[in-house]
Amino acid sequence: MPSTMLSMNEPAAASQADARAGKYLTFQLANEEFGIRVLKVREIMGLQEITAVPQTPAHVKGVINLRGKVVPVIDLRLKFGVATAEYTQRTCIIVTQVQGESGSVLMGIIVDGVSEVLNLTAAEIEDTPDFGEAVAGQYLLGMAKVKGKVKILLDIDRVLSTQDLHNLNTIVH
Amino acid sequence: MPHSPELRRQIEDLALRLVVEDSTTGMPAAAWIPALERIRDSALREQAGRVSAAATAILDRMRRDGESPDQENGRIASVFEEGIIRLQQALDLEKQPVAVNDLPLSQDPELLSDFILESREHLASIEAQVLTIERDPRDAEALNSVFRGFHTIKGLAGFLELWEVQKLAHEVETVLDLARNSQLTLTPAAIDVILQGADYLRRWVAHLDLSLQKQPSDPPPRDEPLLARIHSLSGRPSGPPPAPAELAAMAVAVETLPPEEAPEASANPAAPAHAARRNETMAVKVDTAKLDYLVDMAGEMVIAESLVRHDAELGALKSQKLQRKIAQLTRITAELQKTAMAMRLVPIGPLFSRMARLVRDLARQFGKRVEMETHGDEIELDRNIVEELADPLMHMVRNALDHGLETPEERQASGKNPTARLLLKAQHQAGQVVIEIADDGRGLNRERIQSKAIEKGLIASGDGLTDAEIYNLIFLPGFSTAAEVTNVSGRGVGMDVVRRHIEKLRGRIEIRSTRGSGSTFLLKLPLTLAIIDGLVVGVGEERYIVPLFAVREMFRPAQETIWTVQQRGEMALVRGGLLPVLRLYRRFHVTPRSEDPLQSVLVVAEVEGQRFCLLVDELIGKQEVVIKTLGEMFRNVPGVAGGAILGDGRVGLILDVDRLFKEKPGDASR
Repeated sequence: MPSTMLSMNEPAAASQADARAGKYLTFQLANEEFGIRVLKVREIMGLQEITAVPQTPAHVKGVINLRGKVVPVIDLRLKFGVATAEYTQRTCIIVTQVQGESGSVLMGIIVDGVSEVLNLTAAEIEDTPDFGEAVAGQYLLGMAKVKGKVKILLDIDRVLSTQDLHNLNTIVH
Repeated sequence: MPHSPELRRQIEDLALRLVVEDSTTGMPAAAWIPALERIRDSALREQAGRVSAAATAILDRMRRDGESPDQENGRIASVFEEGIIRLQQALDLEKQPVAVNDLPLSQDPELLSDFILESREHLASIEAQVLTIERDPRDAEALNSVFRGFHTIKGLAGFLELWEVQKLAHEVETVLDLARNSQLTLTPAAIDVILQGADYLRRWVAHLDLSLQKQPSDPPPRDEPLLARIHSLSGRPSGPPPAPAELAAMAVAVETLPPEEAPEASANPAAPAHAARRNETMAVKVDTAKLDYLVDMAGEMVIAESLVRHDAELGALKSQKLQRKIAQLTRITAELQKTAMAMRLVPIGPLFSRMARLVRDLARQFGKRVEMETHGDEIELDRNIVEELADPLMHMVRNALDHGLETPEERQASGKNPTARLLLKAQHQAGQVVIEIADDGRGLNRERIQSKAIEKGLIASGDGLTDAEIYNLIFLPGFSTAAEVTNVSGRGVGMDVVRRHIEKLRGRIEIRSTRGSGSTFLLKLPLTLAIIDGLVVGVGEERYIVPLFAVREMFRPAQETIWTVQQRGEMALVRGGLLPVLRLYRRFHVTPRSEDPLQSVLVVAEVEGQRFCLLVDELIGKQEVVIKTLGEMFRNVPGVAGGAILGDGRVGLILDVDRLFKEKPGDASR
């Protein structure tokens, strides 16, 4: 995926881009900059001890205690199939609120580090080019070009869709 | 349904006039009537049924009041003021889209669910009170309470345009009113009719509930025979049903009066009614999600408090004053957590009262004489447990009446009181709640159970089995000793289902029985499903919680304890028996501290009477934990029942001992 991120000449569909404009929290993962809607972020916390849950896919790191709530945590590197890296001081967990099958649920994602909150206008957001089968395009809202840098905007609801996990589960077993 | 602004303007004009005119001196009713008639006519033209019904109701009322010359004008004005409010409400409701089904007001789910909730409460209290009346027909307080129950339901139903409900409630209310005025004696037959009336209303409420949840449900058909029976009690000819408009008028009329001064209020002033009302206002309905959040927060506070208390730096201060303050904090947090947990508990009394109705009906049906007694109605249990308990309890009560108790003649012949006794009792015992269902009937028949079990191939012979073991056979699937299938016990629900229910609630069931003098079923239940006592065990870096109710014993194995069977399964020799061993680290793919069983600990667990051993690295301790769901992501992880926050704030996984045992590693990879 990293190598294919540079070519983006497709015209943006204005109507769709409007809905995508707004504030995004950006974070790093491998060499990429990603963004998720600020509205989806509940909090950012340092890495803490995670209780592993047996017999789950590798990217599911386990569960943490978020003020009395048990919240699952996903390693986004593993989820996206990027090479794993040692956790550092900057590694953190972004707790997101995503749409589950039965209402909204909290879910944590482990990222290399958070960067900033960007206010993206419709003009800055472009549609995702068709990368073909190799890139999980259904996870992407679009691309943003800010100060010459590219941010990949994630549809975090889709990324963390539990349906996906259940499918994986059936493959694992 | 769109309306011309004309209707709204007319109503608003009227409201304005009411404000402008001095309502204390007021004007005669006649002055208002033309305006109201205009509103009614416009409403009829525009097919605004609610507005026209409300207008008609007010008109009727005002004409009635206007006929009595000594009526104060002020009173008319107040009636009128209420009428205007009703008109405005009706108009607001009209504006909302009308759902195309049989629920004219289903467009307001909130009103409807309030109605359902409130009606259920009233119906439950009606049932309990009717049974009181049956025992003592002169109990005026109970009679008033039943009257008020039907009366309130009638009023609410009228407002929601549930005409069938309103009609029936009205008819029953008429009967009750006659009884209140001593014009009618409530015979057992009359009590039957009243109870059937309540049942009919309950069917309606159930239907509304289903409709509200968007599930298919047909409204209960009008029960003409029941109405006829009610009419024969109230001595009224079973004439044509009143038109909806008339009923609406009735509803409006009665609703404007406070319940205690219901029409033709009886001579009995309602002091107890005041008490009852005060009780109602002292309870608050709270969303369970908020309660859960409170429990979460209280749990977190206990953890935070414990972190402070055990903080090394604070401890190094060796300050007595600080210690005292921390001790105070500890007490308060513990109390807070206890209180938060207790908020989920409800008394078992109402469940017992429901059984009273069942006992009454069954006793009449079987021709048995039974007196039911309850103890410990105030004992509190988790709401979910009380709800889940209803079915098993009902089944056991049925069994007791059907099989356990003798007929009055049989009882007399064996020198017993012809009236049998059934006792429902709840009490606290060792952190659990024990519910006792005791009858003084014939007791369990060991021989019959034994021969039945042999016939069904459940046991080879009864030799060497204790009474308790024989009695427990009735919990096996496919066991039923009922010589004939009655319509009560022939429902295909056996004691095996009862046991499964109880075990699902993490409870146990025991039988005590003495031939000829009765049997007792003991249900031992946890106070709540939200907390369990857990044994915290360590495997490698992970910690797991084994529910203590499944743990029988634990020990460090010796050299000769563990045996490998055919190079596959491992067995442990425990108290002379061989039990299968499950190495938790293998099942969960965790790196253990040691693979040598001699360095590990065996936890003997029991599932449905079968024991097995869990091999873990170490025992960490016993802890009471609040069970948390792991969420939809992990809803189907084999061997894990949930999570819990441990003392240090980390999450520990609660083991599902049942599935660990039943799903062998081989079949786990389905």
